[in-house]
This record gives sequence, structure tokens and C-alpha cells, in this order.
Amino acid sequence: MFQTERNIITNTPYTDSFDFDEIKDFIKGASKNLFISHHFKNSKKISVQPRGGFPTYDKVFELYGEFVRAGVDVLPLTIDSNTRLNDYEMAKKMLALSEETDENLLNGYPLITHGYRATRKMVTHYNTPISLRHGTPDARLLVEVALASGIFEIEGGPITYLLPYSKNFPLDKAFLYWKYVEKICAEYSTLNEPINRESFGPLSATLQPPAIVIVIQLLEMLLSLEEGVKSFSVSFSQTGSMSQDIVSSNVIKKLARKYADIFGHNDTQIHLVYHQWMGAFPRDKEFSDSLINTSTVIASMVRADKMITKTRDEAFGIPTPQVNASAVRNTQYTLNMLKGIPVITDKEEEENLTSMVDDIMEAVFNDPADTLWRQVFNSIKKGIIDIPFSPHIINAGEAITVRDRNYNIRFYERGNIPISDRCLEFERSKIDLKGMSLVENIIHDIGIML
Amino acid sequence: MRVVTGVVGNDIHVVANRLIEISLKERDFEVFNLGVNTYLEEFIDAVIETDADVLLISSLNGEAEGWSRDLLFLKGRFDLDGVLFAIGGNLSVGEASQEDIIPKYKAYGYDLVFHQVDLNEGLDKIEETLKKGKQ
Repeated sequence: MFQTERNIITNTPYTDSFDFDEIKDFIKGASKNLFISHHFKNSKKISVQPRGGFPTYDKVFELYGEFVRAGVDVLPLTIDSNTRLNDYEMAKKMLALSEETDENLLNGYPLITHGYRATRKMVTHYNTPISLRHGTPDARLLVEVALASGIFEIEGGPITYLLPYSKNFPLDKAFLYWKYVEKICAEYSTLNEPINRESFGPLSATLQPPAIVIVIQLLEMLLSLEEGVKSFSVSFSQTGSMSQDIVSSNVIKKLARKYADIFGHNDTQIHLVYHQWMGAFPRDKEFSDSLINTSTVIASMVRADKMITKTRDEAFGIPTPQVNASAVRNTQYTLNMLKGIPVITDKEEEENLTSMVDDIMEAVFNDPADTLWRQVFNSIKKGIIDIPFSPHIINAGEAITVRDRNYNIRFYERGNIPISDRCLEFERSKIDLKGMSLVENIIHDIGIML
Repeated sequence: MRVVTGVVGNDIHVVANRLIEISLKERDFEVFNLGVNTYLEEFIDAVIETDADVLLISSLNGEAEGWSRDLLFLKGRFDLDGVLFAIGGNLSVGEASQEDIIPKYKAYGYDLVFHQVDLNEGLDKIEETLKKGKQ
């Protein structure tokens, strides 16, 4: 049955014809170096991964060359926006124009249009793990092509690639399309090293409360493990407060293991990914350098397994390969002085955050629906899970967050999020609006790095 | 007072939209926020459905002009005389002066036009206008 569905999905004129037997043989015999799950097992340092993708094969090839010379650990493949929205016709047209004019008419690599046979040549040439970065609610064909190409880490998920990116793509469909993705990742994981799935913790990157970020990370992890995935990365982005990042990391590590074990996934490897600042960047490039360095220090303090880098050109658009690679080189340089940092804990803050996460998780599991994805779907509909600054109509948008004096992100209004009165009181006790209106505070709090 | 708000056209910028909603609620408006990526017809439908006093359209990517051309036509089809029509944000693609922008949008059928005006200043003006009674 499932194979029939896969045949239908992959039988399209927009990509090369699928030979599933050949793909299986390729994955079975693929170099261990292509598997980030293998890399995680054997590496003692934080892996460094930039973002990046260009329309043409040659430009991505050149970009990878720059990254490898800069000492990259994991290569990115960022996909263009037409492919993300399943508009393969437009991706094809814009690729042809990009090849003709030597201009970049797509904001990423149209993987489906290039096809797996061509892309695999590049992947095996560099023999470095590659991570698929996209933002696609229906990524079925995209992930088929990625895995066939030798790209063995897939970012995203039904919640994290929908709530921040879309106004009205149906959430129930996103759950089912991602179920397909999890299934093929699980199936290929039995052939060689496991395929790694990674969730996208930054969400809308604007004052996201750690409790909600962690709940969504845990739920996407459970939905993935449920289908048989054996290697999973939870992630979050720099909040703007070093201490809140440390608290978040301690709690997410502990709870990811706890919930995976409760659901019987004791054999799963769980990793932590840290995103350097995802909010608005300063236009002063020296400030950007300083921000990126600080992010690197925090990534070490939270003992991340992988860190995703930004560049000094962030405020100005897509960076050149050279600027992008120099961010990787500098990050590796900074990391080199950050070995053996002791573990820092904050008992009171960790208890408060753990208690909020557990309360929300309990409310999700108490939903009467018969499957986990339906419970999560209903919880989002009811505002039990609610992210600030989502464009999606299903997101309640009732919860309001602001920063406290130390720039920790706190709940000001909880909406329908079922955190206890005690936790809300704790959160609100830290807030000081300094005599300004709520909105003035929020505007200030969004722009702290400018 | 009831207000319908949202971002017009194929514009997905959500942050300012949320700030407008929070600010309006702080000022005790009953808010119907249609969110980003909303078409003019949807705004008019919502105004009729909610019996709103104010329609506050915003735009960040500067495309609002193209989406405003049918406003007079739609206003002519329904009885919307009691409704205050306001628009704000970046109201042109590229640079443009207040002197050019304001009359242009007033001709499209807006009562109040805020091109790159501070949010609170704009909302003060809306409240003032409502208090005086429209015209």
C-alpha cells in the first residue's frame, strides 16, 4: 500500500524517474561520512553548519567548496521558495533563466528540478553530511529526492514548518504529509546508519516562550519516533538571554529523554541543535560579528551537538559564499577556546519551565482523540499550544510575551495555554514594563540586537 | 467600538499586525483581526458581518495601492456610510512623500491615511475622529 503511494508521488515529469531498487542499494552502500547520525556518535565537538543554497548546480558546488575549505562539519542545502510551495513549474522556469543569465532568480536550490542523479554526484564528491533546509508543509516528493541524493538529515515538521510560514495551509494535511516523510526516513534508516530528523525550534523567531518551543519540539519528536525514526534532533534558537538559553537546554534535554522513554523509544538517539540569533540583526557588521561570537559561546555553554551559524551580512540579504564561509571559519576559531565548560544550572528557573512544559504536555495527552497527531491538532485549534507572531489562522495568538530586566522571555498573557497560576505568577513577577505601554515594550524587546 | 483589521494583499508580515491588535485591545476596541494575506472583499465582508465601526487596513510590503482600487466600487455596493476607513503602514513601493500618498489614498475611499506614521499616533487620530463623529 505505502509503496503504491510512493510510486504515485514520485511519478512526475518534474524530476527524474525513480528507481527504488537502485536507491536502496545506494543507501545501503553509502559512505558513513554522509550520515550526521554517525558523525554525532563519533564527534566530541559541536558540529558547525551554515545555511545556504543557490539555484544552479555549479554555484552550490562552489559554495560547498568554500565551506569545506573553511572547516565546515555539516553542509546545508537550502531549497527555493517555489519548490517549498510545490510550484515545480515555476522552479523549473526560474532555474532555466538562472542558468542562462548567471543571475540567481531563486532563493535556494530547486532540488526536485535538478533531480537525485545529478545532486548525488555533488553529495558524494564532498563526502560530508548534508542537511535539508526548506519550510515545506507537503515535503513528500522533496524528501524522496533528498534521500535518494544522499542527503541524510531532514529538517522540519508539521507544526514547525507550518505555523511560522503559512496563513492557511491545512494543518491536518500537514500532519499526514509529514507522516509520510517520517515513514520513508524510518524505512531507509534500517539500511545503513539512521537518517536524522531535526525539528525547527526557532518558530517565528520573535519572542517565542521557551515552554511552547519545548512542547512543540517534544511533540514533533514523538510523532517522528512513532513512525520508527531512530535519530532525532530537537532545537531552539538564541533567546537573547544567556541564562534562559542555559535553562532551556537543561530542560529540553531532560524532557526529550523522559518523554521518548515514556513512549517506549529507549533506543533513540536524541541530539540538541542551537540556532545562532534568528531575530533582526544589526546593520553594523562589527556588532554582527560580536553577536555571532556570543552565540558561539552560548552554544558551548548549552553543550549543543550542532550549531547553525549566521553571517555578518544577515541584515543585508543572502550572503556571498565567501562571507558565509568566513562565518564558519570564525565560529570554529571561537569554539576552539571553549572546551570543557562546566555545567551551569538554575534550579528555580528549571523547575518553573519544567512544570509549564509538563502541564501543557498533559493537556495535549488528555485530549480525547485517538491518535497523537489528532491530539496535537486539537490542542493547536484550542490554543493549548499557541505561538506568538504566527501568520497562520489556526494559531490562537492569545498568548503575549515580553522580556524581563535580564531579557528572559516571559508570559504576560497565557491565553488558553494551560500553565498553572503559580507559574504565571512567577513569570509575571519578573516583568517590569518600566512605565511604558505593553506594545512599546514588545517593540523594544523584538529589537534588542539592533 | 468594533474594528476589523488585517494586512491587505499577498503580504505575510505578521509582527506589526499583532502589535496593532494588541494596541487596539489595550484601547478597549473589540478587535476582529483577519491577519495577514487578506483580500479587500474579505475585509468588506467582515465589516458587514461584525457591524464594525472602523476598518483599519495595514500594509508593509507597499502593495496596498493595487489592492485599493476597488474600494469605492465595493463601498458603493453596500451601505457603509457609518464606517471609518483607515489605512496605514508603508503605502508605496520605494520612496514617496506624504503629499503624494495621502490624496491618492483618500481618492480611493479612505478617510484616514497613515504613511509611515507611528502606530500610537495613528491610533490616537482614529480615536479622535471617532469621538468627533465621522465628518
